Amino acid sequence: MAEVKLQNICKRYGRTEVIRDVSIHVKNGEFITLVGPSGCGKTTILRMIAGLERITSGSLYIGDVLSNDIPSKKRGISMVFQSYALFPHMTVSENIAFGLKIKKYGRNEILERVKWAADFLNLNELESRMPKELSGGQRQRVAFARALVLEPDVLLLDEPLSNLDAKLRLKMRSELKRIHRKLNTTIIYVTHDQVEAMSLSNRVVVMNKGVIAQTGSPLEVYNSPSDIFVAGFIGSPAMNFLNGIIIKDEAHLFIDFDGFKLIIPEELRSNCEKYSGKEIIFGIRPEDITDKRFSLNNEENSIDAIIEVVEPLGDKDMIEAATGDTVLTFTADPGKTESGMHIKIGFNMIKSHFFDKETGKIL
Amino acid sequence: MNYRRFNGSRIIWILCIAVMILVVLAPVFVMFKYSISDRASVVTGGKPIPLWPYDPTLEQFRGLMSMERFFNAFFVSLEIALLSIIISLIVGTPAAYALVRYRFPGFMVLAMLLVSVRLFPDIVSVVPVVEIFIKTNLINSVIGVAMAHSLLSMPYVIFIAMGIFETIPKDLEEQAWILGAGWLYGFTRIVLPVALPGLAAAAIYVFLLSWDEFIFAYFLLAFGELSTLPVLLQKILSWTPQHNLISAISVMLSVPVIIFTFIVQKYMQAGATAGAVK
Repeated sequence: MAEVKLQNICKRYGRTEVIRDVSIHVKNGEFITLVGPSGCGKTTILRMIAGLERITSGSLYIGDVLSNDIPSKKRGISMVFQSYALFPHMTVSENIAFGLKIKKYGRNEILERVKWAADFLNLNELESRMPKELSGGQRQRVAFARALVLEPDVLLLDEPLSNLDAKLRLKMRSELKRIHRKLNTTIIYVTHDQVEAMSLSNRVVVMNKGVIAQTGSPLEVYNSPSDIFVAGFIGSPAMNFLNGIIIKDEAHLFIDFDGFKLIIPEELRSNCEKYSGKEIIFGIRPEDITDKRFSLNNEENSIDAIIEVVEPLGDKDMIEAATGDTVLTFTADPGKTESGMHIKIGFNMIKSHFFDKETGKIL
Repeated sequence: MNYRRFNGSRIIWILCIAVMILVVLAPVFVMFKYSISDRASVVTGGKPIPLWPYDPTLEQFRGLMSMERFFNAFFVSLEIALLSIIISLIVGTPAAYALVRYRFPGFMVLAMLLVSVRLFPDIVSVVPVVEIFIKTNLINSVIGVAMAHSLLSMPYVIFIAMGIFETIPKDLEEQAWILGAGWLYGFTRIVLPVALPGLAAAAIYVFLLSWDEFIFAYFLLAFGELSTLPVLLQKILSWTPQHNLISAISVMLSVPVIIFTFIVQKYMQAGATAGAVK
């Protein structure tokens, strides 16, 4: 266990700046996830922590040691690659023992530790097999065993689940949680899958174009996104965004869309007031839009809409409804909606978000 | 039922193929036939030479086995071939690795320069090589010819090895580093073992090239005591010996080539898939 501190880390390749001024403080035993679209620099950060990529400027502390120029093997880290990187000419147990042999552990200790790792990840039957004789999930577990057997202070995971099929991915996800709970290792996890990020980690770092967009607990980034990028990236189905103008009259503050208006509740008033008369972007998550037929909310913030598409998901229906030129996505109880229906939909305005149209920042 | 007729074009096709096979195989057949011919089937005193020897014999081969010059040449050839393999792999493998892992500006220029030796006919490039070797006292030596053969085979070794290293993911090495390996440990314990089948193919290729190389061996050795098999063959030819002796030497020269070619094919395929991971 160790904490990892990144202070104002930058990375340039020639003139292209791929990471700009990134600071993260990973606490002891924390499970932190770097998430973002591909090319946002999350893997580069992980590789810099691993020592596979030079840090252009800024400081990296692993434990209390400034580690910028410390070689990978002395950083007390382990890493699981997206490709698993199993050594194809070695058996499963040779793969697991590789690091132990280099670190000159005694024969018995190596045997003991390999056995522990194989037990821990249910690999007992497979120890003498070659990597090519294993299934994807088994290879994955060997890669984890090889990383864990060294008892790293920090475990780095680079999209370890992305090569697995959907079912196995779910299984490995809970397996990962189990590993973290039992060993309490500091884990830094990289993924482009926001669902994985939300479900696994203590804290999420959302990245975009080489900078950190927001850091916070999964619920924080979900409920109070700091800008329009985070709002759109976290959550599935994605948040609805509408362009509108904030207008103030004697009684209310409201947003005027092309064709309908929504009243801004008292709680959000103070943030929005200074934007009156200006264009903003209004965001609302699909689950905060309701079909009025099934809700008891007041009539205040509701509009007419026509159902265009209904996608049954089993436990619920995903619905696209149009009002004027605007299409809204929301979910409803299954089997009660058909395309072509005219309905009234309501907005849970307390849960809505307002973004500055120029900067994309939350108001 | 619709049988295919032997129409005109089909007959022409078959004739062409037959002629082709004949052209390719006739010399091989003649060589083989002479090598097992008895004296009467070669020196016929004006009568036509028979299609198959009157009295097939292995006498020529027995003669070769007791011929010191042949033995010496055989082992000189072998020595040169093995040395060429060692030199070109020791130099070529790291070069290929560097070219693959550290792409740098001017990479294509360097790659072109590497093959440039083979862009000229051997008879042209042999002149400067022999001149340098005379000045450095490498002429008339096994190591000299081995170096010349390494020069010829190096481009192939480098290109084959580059192909192999390209199939080995960098992840493997980086994983080894993270697990505590240094660069050299990672290279020798991870990269080389995975590359081995492919490198074996390259080694066999060098062997074949060196084994029957004539021009460089001739100019570097012809005026001294040493001979490789092709050079010996040329020397014997110059005193117009019997056909059956030359043919026996030719067979001895060809057999390893044929055997190795079959092995190469097997390993070339193994080399292509050796790096497949994941």
